[in-house]
Amino acid sequence: MIRVIVLLIFSILLSGCYDRIELEQQSYVIAIGIDKTEQEGVYSFTYQIANPEIGSAAVQSGPDEPPTEIVTVNGSDILSSTYTANSFVSKKITLDHTKIIVISEELARSEDFIRVIQSASRTPQIRRSVQMLVSKEKAIDFINNNEPIMEKRPHKYYQFMLNRAVQTGIIPKSTLHRFFQITEGDADLFLAIYATTEQSDQKKNTEGFEDKYIAGEIPQIGGSPTQFMGSAVFKEGQMIDILDGEETRVAQMLDKTLEMEDYLATIPDPKMPEYRISYNYYQKKEPIININYYKNKPTEIDVNISFQVEVIAIPSLIMYSQSKKDQQTLQEALTQRLEEKTNALIEKTQNSYKSDAFYWSLYIRKHFKDIKEYEDADWHKNIYPNAKINVTYELEKMEFGKMINDSNLEDVRD
Amino acid sequence: MQNNGYLRIKEIAAMTLLLVGIKLSDSTPALLAQKAQNGFWLIPLLSFICIFPGFLIMLYLLKKYQDKNLIELMEAITGKWIGKGIGIVIFLFALLTITFDSRNYIEQIGLLYFPKSPTIVLFFIFIGIVFFGAKKGIEVIGETSWLFLTVIKISASLVILLSLGEVVMQRVFPIFGSGITNILTEGVKKASLFAELFFLLIAYKVTKASSMFSKGIVIASFITLFEITLFYFVYITVFDYNSIAKIAFPFHDLTQFINLGNFFTNIETLFMVFWLFAAFLKFIIFIYLATWIFGEIFAIRNFEPLLLPFSFLVIMIGQLPFNSIINELILREMLLTIMSPFFIILPYVLWGIAWGKGELK
Repeated sequence: MIRVIVLLIFSILLSGCYDRIELEQQSYVIAIGIDKTEQEGVYSFTYQIANPEIGSAAVQSGPDEPPTEIVTVNGSDILSSTYTANSFVSKKITLDHTKIIVISEELARSEDFIRVIQSASRTPQIRRSVQMLVSKEKAIDFINNNEPIMEKRPHKYYQFMLNRAVQTGIIPKSTLHRFFQITEGDADLFLAIYATTEQSDQKKNTEGFEDKYIAGEIPQIGGSPTQFMGSAVFKEGQMIDILDGEETRVAQMLDKTLEMEDYLATIPDPKMPEYRISYNYYQKKEPIININYYKNKPTEIDVNISFQVEVIAIPSLIMYSQSKKDQQTLQEALTQRLEEKTNALIEKTQNSYKSDAFYWSLYIRKHFKDIKEYEDADWHKNIYPNAKINVTYELEKMEFGKMINDSNLEDVRD
Repeated sequence: MQNNGYLRIKEIAAMTLLLVGIKLSDSTPALLAQKAQNGFWLIPLLSFICIFPGFLIMLYLLKKYQDKNLIELMEAITGKWIGKGIGIVIFLFALLTITFDSRNYIEQIGLLYFPKSPTIVLFFIFIGIVFFGAKKGIEVIGETSWLFLTVIKISASLVILLSLGEVVMQRVFPIFGSGITNILTEGVKKASLFAELFFLLIAYKVTKASSMFSKGIVIASFITLFEITLFYFVYITVFDYNSIAKIAFPFHDLTQFINLGNFFTNIETLFMVFWLFAAFLKFIIFIYLATWIFGEIFAIRNFEPLLLPFSFLVIMIGQLPFNSIINELILREMLLTIMSPFFIILPYVLWGIAWGKGELK
């Protein structure tokens, strides 16, 4: 009798082990690349699998072991092709730790993109915090060419790389979650990270701008070949255009739901335009967005952004810090420049994209009682393209770093 | 029946909180959002307004007819046979609610954490544990609920705290979702969201003094209402109206989404443990109450041996729906819609009869 009871107890307890799987029996995918193939409905999936022995202090790895294994298979959706890949990957492929999904520009611009990305939200393995990245070349080439130099562990590389680039505002934060919110909301434009490993058409840095690039255009010597810069614009789940780093920053400045910490930029010195003043831009307060909705005439959108500036370098050696009048000139130059850039971007979204990239549809919602009314008013076909938009920048504070004055050129050279 | 009348306000409140409050973490939000879109977080409020006055009347009647529980009260007011008839209806409602709910919970556990285990195995283990828990009697259940309540609520608050960063307030607008008439009708139709309160009335006599029971359950109802509304509000502001209707298990989607800083990613298992505790306790309480109702109707004083056949019944009926979507969106929705008018009207009818008989003086 006792034996039977023991047997029963164990069979109940052990049934908890149904889903047991050892760590070493799993391969953790860090990046997934998706490409189009010639056949419709079939895509090529590239999985970058992390080697857990690299970068770990506990395990001595062989010197020849690469930090990642990259495999590519054809299939119809993200999950089922992991099983195809198992024909030559020795362990169970697990997507729980995926950090990014790379989509080739070719696929992103096709109408079928939404079909393949939908499957990502159905499986519980892929989290909503996975970032979406559009690569200029094929995703398979992007993942294969991407060779981080200092940080070999792929999951940390993507995490640090993207975090830092998002902080500086040159790329937006583009999680799957946000993609689905905006695409399903059907009212705004979604911005995805734009990146490439191919430096084909480098721009000469003639204008001296730090952020007027898109990925692949930045003249670079040394370092990893991968450049993250700018953003891919998605309208209704399909990519339509690319914004450069500067426009991406402006878009993030206007969007309350995205966080950008600070960035460095330059403007021509208002008193000696051949030199450029560098400054650190901070946005400590959220922008104030006011929408006055009118049924029969254009809607008015008032945006007020207050920002702070720390001047970093004044190569012209003009003593801005001492003269109130000069400061006033600098201040006006700064706000005017920001307003110009912003107005140019807004005009572009109104006229050529016919929708906004700033998630502003959120602020008009309160003017409607129910969803039917809101959807009938049609934010991105009707309201936004015809709206009167007025953006004002307000400089709250201007600091001059830890130096009061620069060296007086005349004293030095006399 | 192990009932020495030891339970107090806190145990009653804990049981109510677990039994009713866990609705914030199953598929109910998806069910409500199907029709109400982003106005769905208002539905629990409306449902509560519909059903709570009636519930207070029930408490008042129980107080008037001292030393009676739900079934005895109905027998006293409407006569033996009609009372038993209504009792059977209530019992069937309870059993079906347990069945549909347990299937829903099994699907959640299976889909998210044990993808390879067959549903039937999960079902047997889940209900098996529930059975052993329920066998301990109402006092142990009450004590256990109170003990675990704190950790369960702390983990739930942590989920809210960590998801605050993703909340976009403007997503609650347009405030009435799919339209004010739609919200109002849904609010009335889904009043049975709080039907569990009525099932709890069978335990009216377990406390030292019956005023403790009333106090505990009334306080807990308001806390539950607040919790459910808060969670639904977070769901709608995080997911927006188009997505919320598509997400079957928003609580788990939320726990998968949030991170504790850069280092602690993928932390959903942390919350899953406490959620599982809550789920076990909910069904332990529920199956005990249902069996108790059955026992009262058929005058079976020692009803606890019945727990085993009823647990088995729950597993068998729970297996029947073809998939979790049919189970949740069609069967459960139907059950809620049928239960609502019943529980809204019942207290007034009982009160009317009692008043007509002149027994309320």
